[in-house]
Amino acid sequence: MIKKNTGWIIAGLTVLLLITAIYSATVGTADISFKEVILITLNEIPLINRYVTAPEGSSRTIVVLIRLPRIALGIIAGISLSVSGTSMQGIFKNPMASPFILGVSAGGGLGAAVGFYFGVSFYYLPLLAFSTAVSTVFLVFALGRVRKKTDIATLLLAGLAMNFLMSGLTSYIRYMSPPEKMVQMQILSFMLGNLNEAAWNQVHITLPIMIVGVGLVFAYSRDLNVIQMGEGSALQLGVDVERTKFVQLVTSSLLAATMVAFTGIIGFVGLMIPHGARLIVGPEHKRLIPTAALMGGIFLILCDTISRLMGEIPVGIITVLLGSPFFIYLLIRNRGDTGW
Amino acid sequence: MVGYLEVKELTTGYGEKEVLKNISFDLKSGEMLGIIGPNGSGKSTLIKAITGIIPIWSGEVNYDKKNINELHRRERARIIGVVPQDTFINFPFTSWEVVMMGRNPYLGRFENPKQKDDLAVKEAMKATKTLRFKDRSVRELSGGELQRVVVARALAQEPELIFLDEATSHLDIGHKLETMDLMKDRVKQRNIGVLSIHHNLNLAARYCDNIVLLDEGKVHAKGSPKKVLTRAHLRAVYGIEAEVDENPRDGSLYVTPIKRKVMTEDKEEVVHVICGGGTGGTLLKELVEHGYEVTTGVLNVMDSDQKMAEFLDLKCATEAPFSSISEQAKNENLILTEEADLVVGTDFAVGPGNIDNLKALLYAAGSGKDVLLLERNEFRERNHMGRKGKEIYDRLVSKTTVKTMASMDDLLRYLSRGNI
Repeated sequence: MIKKNTGWIIAGLTVLLLITAIYSATVGTADISFKEVILITLNEIPLINRYVTAPEGSSRTIVVLIRLPRIALGIIAGISLSVSGTSMQGIFKNPMASPFILGVSAGGGLGAAVGFYFGVSFYYLPLLAFSTAVSTVFLVFALGRVRKKTDIATLLLAGLAMNFLMSGLTSYIRYMSPPEKMVQMQILSFMLGNLNEAAWNQVHITLPIMIVGVGLVFAYSRDLNVIQMGEGSALQLGVDVERTKFVQLVTSSLLAATMVAFTGIIGFVGLMIPHGARLIVGPEHKRLIPTAALMGGIFLILCDTISRLMGEIPVGIITVLLGSPFFIYLLIRNRGDTGW
Repeated sequence: MVGYLEVKELTTGYGEKEVLKNISFDLKSGEMLGIIGPNGSGKSTLIKAITGIIPIWSGEVNYDKKNINELHRRERARIIGVVPQDTFINFPFTSWEVVMMGRNPYLGRFENPKQKDDLAVKEAMKATKTLRFKDRSVRELSGGELQRVVVARALAQEPELIFLDEATSHLDIGHKLETMDLMKDRVKQRNIGVLSIHHNLNLAARYCDNIVLLDEGKVHAKGSPKKVLTRAHLRAVYGIEAEVDENPRDGSLYVTPIKRKVMTEDKEEVVHVICGGGTGGTLLKELVEHGYEVTTGVLNVMDSDQKMAEFLDLKCATEAPFSSISEQAKNENLILTEEADLVVGTDFAVGPGNIDNLKALLYAAGSGKDVLLLERNEFRERNHMGRKGKEIYDRLVSKTTVKTMASMDDLLRYLSRGNI
């Protein structure tokens, strides 16, 4: 395992993220070069734009108003979901945990389905999905409280139960909605996740949430390490176990709920990226969280670029199709050792 | 360090269920204290309560006169380090990283380990001989190796008290002793206190200065190993018959369990057994296990029946080795005979030394007591008193209250039918 070079790994991944982002901005029906993208982007940044002259016209509009916000939202979603997944896997001490384990996806999905069914305005839909996602998590938390403590095993089962309940209701709405009104298609698209409707205002909302959320998860990263020794031992090593669980679970659920509200349910990123990151820097969360965050950003914009090249198919399809073979590879590699 | 842990009237449990009641003991620095007791007696619960994993219902735990409940958990973690029985780690942390977690109570939220922490970790890993696999994943270690890493973690914590929660039970005998020796050294060199839960009584006897014996959530006995590890305590708490001997080399005690006491209900009836020369030993044990209160006599000291009686802690009229029955022993025996509900005479050899035992049987039968004779050997084969012996024997068997039994099983069966 590469450990001592974490600084270099993070620097390398940051550069890779930038290159992937710029590359992604060149891909699409309009032919825009690498150089043009860089100039247009730099021209958008205050102070620097004094020294840069960017090409005017449609290229600029396409890059600034369509491609860049989409890439930015992709990075934010990739980071949020990966960090959320890392945190969930840490708290559940289980590598199969995902950001959606507490019912965020099923809850958000139900809200979105209701919204589509009643034709709620485009602006309110994320709000609706966010509130149902958060309410579901809240219910799961209420069910998972045992004697004033959050019991992880009960929480897992409560999450499972709420996932089933919400998915069942969503399926009912899907089944009942008339095919000609496109509601079924809209719900399906939400369930698979996509970045099609990305806009700067979404970036403005999700970016601060991501920064605060990732910061909180990172702040409790050593506590997350010690909790791997067992909750009892963690307490005896001076960790406030209940507060750590609360901060990690609430923060990572909110991160996931925010992304679900704006991009739908992009699966697999939050489940798989933490594994990939763990293979590179090990399970120590101070190294793992930034590594997983950057890898998540890179992975999601790569997948979204492919999705654009394939004619705007939902990005969730690509993440699953690319992610599962990797997962199977991990499974074969680590067969017999369930802890990875 | 002048640490002093004081547990006062501690009561706790899980949910509604009370597990420990009014537990009190002290642990001083420089002391190794053992906690023993059967499964479910509340040993591990005690550690959980003191370290704040479960709340204390009543009573208090003080360290250096400060209530341990009022200490911040980080402060408490700098005082008490715990080695649990098992540790399961799902992710491939390296051994070094796991030991470094012992430094958690010293590191601020955004603080990185410093040289001081590295040194503490390194020293702890050296002491536990784990340094050579410091870069290996703990998931690749054997159970014993991982446990030593966890011991190192507790050492790196540099606590003033170390609690071992059956920490050595999964280690092989070599590493068990090594770990306990290491603890003993720490106690001496750094004047820390060690509290260790033991299932292995000999390990407790060997290493602990003092022992607390728990039974069903209460302190059954506490004090030096000599005071606590007695046959009576072991019988009462573990339900075993055991021999407790002193190791001739270092004076420590060692316990050899002989057999589990059969848990029959204690009966009220008293059976007096007149035996000797090995004819009654097994019967004494069987009767005790069937729940009778058993007395015996007159037996010469060092006779094998007498040894059994002593082992079973029976009331016994004794005589000096290889001596004839004295007047005093004879009377003692007759008193026991009178106090008994039933008298059993075994097929002991009758000679001039113990003719009084045969007379005692006759006396019992004469006074209307039920007498059972165990006759596996005919009387004439074991009579070394000639006509005098035969005369007494004949008078004995002619009594209506006397019955003869051909085997011990017959005898026990006869008793169990309520013929007493």
